Amino acid sequence: MLSKSTAPTRVAILGAGRGGTALLDLLHQIHAIDVVGIADRDPRAPGLQRARELHIPALTNLTDLIARHDLHMIMDVTGDPGMERTLREQVNQEIEILSGPASRILWELVQHQAALQAELLHAEKLAGIGSFAAGIAHDINNPLQLILGLAENLIDEQDLHVVHEQAKDIVEAVKRTTAICRDLTSYSRRASTLHDSLVDVNTKLDDALKIARYAVAFHDVTVVKDYTPGLAVMGNPDQLLHVFVNLITNAVQAMERGGTLAVRSSIAPEGIQVRVSDTGCGIPAELLEQIFEPFFTTKPPGKGTGLGLYNIKYVVHQMHGTIGVESQPGVGSTFTITFQPAHPD
Amino acid sequence: MSEFKSGFFVGGENCNGRVLVVDDEPDIRKVVRMTLQKAGYEVLEAENGEKAIETINSGENRLLLDVMVCDIRMPKVNGIEAIAYFRQNYPRVPLIVLTGFPDTDMATSLLRQGVVDYLVKPVEGEKLRAAVARAMEQRELAPL
Repeated sequence: MLSKSTAPTRVAILGAGRGGTALLDLLHQIHAIDVVGIADRDPRAPGLQRARELHIPALTNLTDLIARHDLHMIMDVTGDPGMERTLREQVNQEIEILSGPASRILWELVQHQAALQAELLHAEKLAGIGSFAAGIAHDINNPLQLILGLAENLIDEQDLHVVHEQAKDIVEAVKRTTAICRDLTSYSRRASTLHDSLVDVNTKLDDALKIARYAVAFHDVTVVKDYTPGLAVMGNPDQLLHVFVNLITNAVQAMERGGTLAVRSSIAPEGIQVRVSDTGCGIPAELLEQIFEPFFTTKPPGKGTGLGLYNIKYVVHQMHGTIGVESQPGVGSTFTITFQPAHPD
Repeated sequence: MSEFKSGFFVGGENCNGRVLVVDDEPDIRKVVRMTLQKAGYEVLEAENGEKAIETINSGENRLLLDVMVCDIRMPKVNGIEAIAYFRQNYPRVPLIVLTGFPDTDMATSLLRQGVVDYLVKPVEGEKLRAAVARAMEQRELAPL
């Protein structure tokens, strides 16, 4: 039955917990599948919220879900052992039911896909670090030049006061150099994929501003920070840092001849918002739809992976957030991420 | 030209020549100044390409600048743009590149444009002074 139709397979998801949410996020991205709804008895189930964000019907009643749609398949990820029988009794025989062991296998596959996605995220991050070379060389070799010059001078410096001052300058220069390595090793490490924690948004934005300077020269870019203090979100701190670094790097790259980078955090009615704005080249309207798609890039071959914004969107969705963009060619772009306010469990 | 002693036009008895150091990092300008002053050079500083162009176009520098030591990665007018400008407008002033990021392609292209030396930070004082001394010999005297 499924193979006959070339139209999208219409699927309903039953259970909106962790499994249902992950399944929804995955199936939603697949063109051959049309998720027509998701249901859970618990109105606070995370998958229902996620569905509303994606404009997919979110229901708390099984009968409504079955009755409303010309379904091809129901995927039961409730984990309820009695559910399969209930479904078989209530649902039209034409509709396939994926339940029990089959849905457990499906859950395994979804988890496997999530692991692959995390790998992809890491690979994209590492690919990006390749472009840090110039920035790192600049920030290490400049202090080294200072250290070398001062040390050479100290060899035959007679004035004790000068010796004292220059020795202090050397110590400071060494500290600056070690900070670079510390920042970068913490950035390049693999994100601990399963560990969400309460993340201070403003601190992460500041860290990202520091790291983005290696990726792209901030020459002639004025940085404006406008933070609302005390904002925290639930998420993976390493992945969130990666998201912010990517957004800031993109913004600065869009301003080849300089401009203003504005980084803002605020509380909006929809949740906690982070906005990254530039006064750069902007994005043509016809490309706006595509920028979050995997492998979409306007950069020359070898310069961009085309996975930056795709991964940003993935991480933001994992955190049950949304990302949007406004852009005007020649004026600039603003990316806005909206996070659910954190409810630490 | 070798019969003209260095500093012929500069006057000061101990001055071997006038060098413009272009780098956005004050620390680098400071330490390069220190290094070159030891060999008797008078050192001028500019924090980017734009300032360097201003400096060379002001007062007697047009005539009396002997050598330039120029960084690449800088705000405003960067090193590449500044070097193109200097090669075009002041071809008599030898240029030494002092950069934090070794890039073979860039070095080749710059040397082709007439840059006399391409040094990578950190460079020892002795090497920097030797490079400047070589550049001094290569410079052409300003038209009077």
